Amino acid sequence: MEQKEFFTSRWGLILATLGIAVGTGNIWRFSRIVAQNGGGSFLIPWVLFLLLWSVPLIIAEMAIGKYARLGPTGAFAKVAGKKFGWMGAFITFVSTAIMFYYSVVTGWCFRYFFSAISGDLFNTTSHLEYWETFSSSSWPMLFHFSAIAVGVFVVYHGIVHGVEKANKILVPTLIAILLVLLIRALTLPNAFEGIKYFFTPKMEYLLDIKVWLNALTQNAWDTGAGWGLILTYAVYAKRKEDISINAALVGFGNNSISLIAGIIIFSTVFSLSSVDAMARITESGPANTGLTFIFLPVLFSKLSESNLLNIFFASSFFLALAFAAISSLISMIELTTRTVIDFGISRKKAVFMVGFTGLIMGIPSALSMKFFVNQDWVWGVGLILSGAFIAFAIIKFGVDKFRQEIINGYGSDIKIGKWYNSLIKYVIPIEATVLLVWWLVSSVSWDPDWWNPLHAENVGTCLLQWGVVLSLLIIFNKTIVNKILQEE
Amino acid sequence: MALETIFTFAIVGSIVWGGLIYFLYKAISFEKNKKDNE
Repeated sequence: MEQKEFFTSRWGLILATLGIAVGTGNIWRFSRIVAQNGGGSFLIPWVLFLLLWSVPLIIAEMAIGKYARLGPTGAFAKVAGKKFGWMGAFITFVSTAIMFYYSVVTGWCFRYFFSAISGDLFNTTSHLEYWETFSSSSWPMLFHFSAIAVGVFVVYHGIVHGVEKANKILVPTLIAILLVLLIRALTLPNAFEGIKYFFTPKMEYLLDIKVWLNALTQNAWDTGAGWGLILTYAVYAKRKEDISINAALVGFGNNSISLIAGIIIFSTVFSLSSVDAMARITESGPANTGLTFIFLPVLFSKLSESNLLNIFFASSFFLALAFAAISSLISMIELTTRTVIDFGISRKKAVFMVGFTGLIMGIPSALSMKFFVNQDWVWGVGLILSGAFIAFAIIKFGVDKFRQEIINGYGSDIKIGKWYNSLIKYVIPIEATVLLVWWLVSSVSWDPDWWNPLHAENVGTCLLQWGVVLSLLIIFNKTIVNKILQEE
Repeated sequence: MALETIFTFAIVGSIVWGGLIYFLYKAISFEKNKKDNE
């Protein structure tokens, strides 16, 4: 199958890839995790893992996609060998399973944007009740449908007229909104206290292994490295396109946005919270929604005496959140669509198949918070496996050959040195193993019935769901890989 | 403000935002060179 569509420019590719990386995790998860892990103490390992996990994996994904010109399944068959196509298929499955419930999250953001702009968000006395009434109704299902519809509409129009065009609007607007909110947050009385907390390290936290592991987890989830999404967009990069600088821009750009979002949240909470600010930020609430959907609306209502101004800032915040979510959702729909295209089906047919499946498979998460939490747990942890699989594929290909022929090959603006070999061969596999073992062992202590697969968040449910998916993919590996390579 | 706060801000800010500005500058320079060569 001949590659016909490419991102029109380097900036188009970078903005689209930044759209993958910048998601709701930068805005709501980052601040909560920073608060739970000692403020400034967390930032030091977080920066370190940007260099030791995110950037090397973004480089790897961009290089694999540009080289293989196929979605993750076909790309793994080409890079690691036909026997290992199931690893790419697992990455595809994990990101697709995340897409099923991420559209629900995107729908929540849409809903809160409309609530904020209509003023309805400030007509309630209890924001907890407001959230619970919404989340237990059938409205999340309708908003999930609308999120899928927007994503399908964009992907249907292809890479240049859909994905690139949408991200050229979404990402710069998101950054502009965050900068406006940053100025407002910094000019609030007492905002400095929040910034002080955000950047003050505490030695006892720095010596705690949990803080380091949380910093690694945040990088793994937040930058989109290891999801297969960046690999998919790189399929549409022109041959003359550079890999290393583009990858670094995505990693550093993503974490820059997280820092800005953190300053906004910490300044606002420390300035306006009449109760213990820290307790509010660390409260996760149902499905970790506490800070964003329950506490921040309370703060927005206290922002100024003018109701109109409060509506403006609240709707700007939720619009930024919705833009961050939809740009990531688009990439998840594109990843699955690309995989279907690899089987010889046209983009138009493929995107409708993926959209319809997403519509149906997202319903349980839209209607049941317990199901949502379970899926978030199982496939969120599964991403660590995905990252390890990418490192494995490069090791199978030959790390030095991969670096010299693909990363430093035609189009590269700078040459990556031998340090990259050690990162892929040793550092990333060690990080993935430690993180995975830590997550699974910790979850044994959280749940005495850790083996019970019917519980929402434990080892049992992970092992069962991963086991079923991996077994099926390994059994059908040959059929899947042969079909994709034959179509190519 | 405590010294460690300023130190953390300087380290984290210079790596993250400094890195972004550095690579942005590099990308713009290479693009300009490519256009000039064309």
